[in-house]
Amino acid sequence: MRGGLSLYVEGNSLLHRAHPFTKGVLMLSAVALAFIVPSALWVAGILVVLLILGTVAGLSRRLVTGAVAVVVPLSLLIFAVQGFANPANRTVVFALGPIVYYKEGLAFAGFVVLRIACLVVATFLFSFTTRPADISEALMQSGLSPSMGYVLQSALQIIPQTLDMAVRIQDAQRSRGLETEGPLHRRARAYLPLMLPLVLSSLLATQERAMALEVRGFGLSVKRQSRYVFADSTPQRVTRWLMALAPPAAVVARVAGWQ
Amino acid sequence: MGVLNAFKFRMNTLAIVLIPVCIAIDWAGHALAQALHLFFLDSIGTVLGGLLAGPWVGGLAGLLTNILSSGSTDPIAWSYCGVAFAIGVVAGIGGYYGWHKTWPGRIILYVLIVLAASIISTPINIGLYGGGSGVAYGDAMYAALVKSGWPTWLAAYLDEASADIPDKFITVVVATAIYFGLPNRYRALFSVWRRSPGEPEPAPAR
Amino acid sequence: MTEPALIFDKVGYAYEESPREAVSDISFSVDPGEWVGVTGPTNAGKSTLCLLAIGLAPHFFAGTLRGTVTALGKDSRSIKVIERSTDVGLLFQNPFTQISGARERVDDEVAFGPECHGVARAEVVERVDEAMRLVGISELAARNPLDLSGGQLQRLALAGLLAMRPRVLLLDEPTSQLDPAGTAAIFEVLANLHSMGTTIVMVEHRLEALCELCPRIIAMAAGRIIADGAPADVFNDDAVISKVGQPVFARLAREAGVTGPWPVQFQGAVSAFERARA
Repeated sequence: MRGGLSLYVEGNSLLHRAHPFTKGVLMLSAVALAFIVPSALWVAGILVVLLILGTVAGLSRRLVTGAVAVVVPLSLLIFAVQGFANPANRTVVFALGPIVYYKEGLAFAGFVVLRIACLVVATFLFSFTTRPADISEALMQSGLSPSMGYVLQSALQIIPQTLDMAVRIQDAQRSRGLETEGPLHRRARAYLPLMLPLVLSSLLATQERAMALEVRGFGLSVKRQSRYVFADSTPQRVTRWLMALAPPAAVVARVAGWQ
Repeated sequence: MGVLNAFKFRMNTLAIVLIPVCIAIDWAGHALAQALHLFFLDSIGTVLGGLLAGPWVGGLAGLLTNILSSGSTDPIAWSYCGVAFAIGVVAGIGGYYGWHKTWPGRIILYVLIVLAASIISTPINIGLYGGGSGVAYGDAMYAALVKSGWPTWLAAYLDEASADIPDKFITVVVATAIYFGLPNRYRALFSVWRRSPGEPEPAPAR
Repeated sequence: MTEPALIFDKVGYAYEESPREAVSDISFSVDPGEWVGVTGPTNAGKSTLCLLAIGLAPHFFAGTLRGTVTALGKDSRSIKVIERSTDVGLLFQNPFTQISGARERVDDEVAFGPECHGVARAEVVERVDEAMRLVGISELAARNPLDLSGGQLQRLALAGLLAMRPRVLLLDEPTSQLDPAGTAAIFEVLANLHSMGTTIVMVEHRLEALCELCPRIIAMAAGRIIADGAPADVFNDDAVISKVGQPVFARLAREAGVTGPWPVQFQGAVSAFERARA
């Protein structure tokens, strides 16, 4: 369970070694572009680029299985809804009794699903190749306050711990006859007794933790020495800028009539 | 000054330490909700953080809850981090005015949180899913409404709101219950951010 | 005569939410290198004493402070807790709430304090190694703090303080949540620090341990100091006996009909019983 929060996969690929900001900008601009470009073909192109990057990083299988697990259930829903109810629907493809499916809606659903696939793959690509601790460290080196760095690092540590505790409480209550099935109001009423002990103890601990942190000098406005410096380079910086400029450029192109 | 005073950035160590705990509560709340098949319930910590320590703590807790879940279980979550931020900010404003202490105030708090969540989510749903919300029963309603001629934006809003109305009800009830389950002395440690501008800054916390 | 490391001068303190003072009329001083044990029943004001000594009262818990608290020449009103954290350290009871919760490795956790103070990288490494060696957790350096036992965690918390190289160390019941082995390990570290010249003020309710370890004991009850002196004197004082009790050796000796002064340490008890038998 511990460390269960991070999806980071050890590796030494180009993407693994890249500065966290480079990967962050890559992810954000890939997603932005997927939602700006005019046609499904372009979105598919972006998806292919992302998958190639993932393959180069040795992550193709994880990337595909992860994305399929997220995208397929969603896409079933999207195809069902859009194929049936999209306002542009004209051309009947097939009918299941009274429910008629149309070409326009299904095509639109395909477009939407491709975009979501881009979003999911880009996000996974970032999470698989970037240590969470590196993100906060990189942010702090670029001026994020140590307090906010603490918030990030601490959240990453506390979440798995709290989830462990939640599982334990749940098991304990289940042996005492907790109802996880049954009518809504009964399940809702079971919820608070599960939450209260968990939440109160972790909230009350903050008081002593805050004191203990002050006793160690937390909050001093002293220039902090970096623990390690991330390899950054001019090519990486240029790449970042180019990628950051791509989405605005695409918007301009769309406004100028890119179909 | 009014409500802007609530937004003055004055975080003591306790408030900073509270943020990760709120994030963890969001996660645990969601995990337990999944076990009981109860909606999402992933913003109880966010609301609690807002009530206790103001809009910045609430907002940041919400924002980071979503970003961190994108990094693990739910890669799409970060698209909605603005929604979670807004929920925390609304709870912070409620905490500033003490809405959670009276029944009319609690209703205002609940209604505003539902409005913030549903209004901000709707355009994201439209952009992302073309209208649905990714939740089966809501999307079935969306399909039925659009089919009978309703405008897509309205159907998308109702789809989203149909999930937020029960979800945020339990969220607000549980968050206020936890708030009042905390010892007075503990709650008082956070009151620094509620002071009016004229009051002298006291010792960092109490 | 050197200046005392810690001076309480007619100190009274009331928390903001309480009308009554938690401690009153506290006056004592601790010389550099002393090891002072503080004991007393619940609500005697022992924890408040620690909070006052480091300045968390009134800087963290607002309240009314009478008199002056001076640590290493600095008045607690004029210096923030975070600024004096390299001079004075405070170890709390609960090992789990003291780790920063933000570090994935034991050695990084120890480095937290020095890093907050902007200590240069090479020196951080040196201090971390030294602190981990002092408390005996060097072999745990790469572990996740959350995987440690309570006793190991408390030593880690202590190492986190020692990496700041404080001259005064305050401990508020540091072993109350530890098993016997964990307790023994902490006491061993403290004895070592004492021999190296660190000034130690330790709140502890295990009277036997206090009498073995601390050359001087302050007994408190209801927010006041009721005795201050060598263990043998303090635990033969009627007021202390009625409010705080006595170490088990003294109780045994009394029960066995040995005449006072009653022994408070193991060795003293052995010779007292031998005398009685003779």
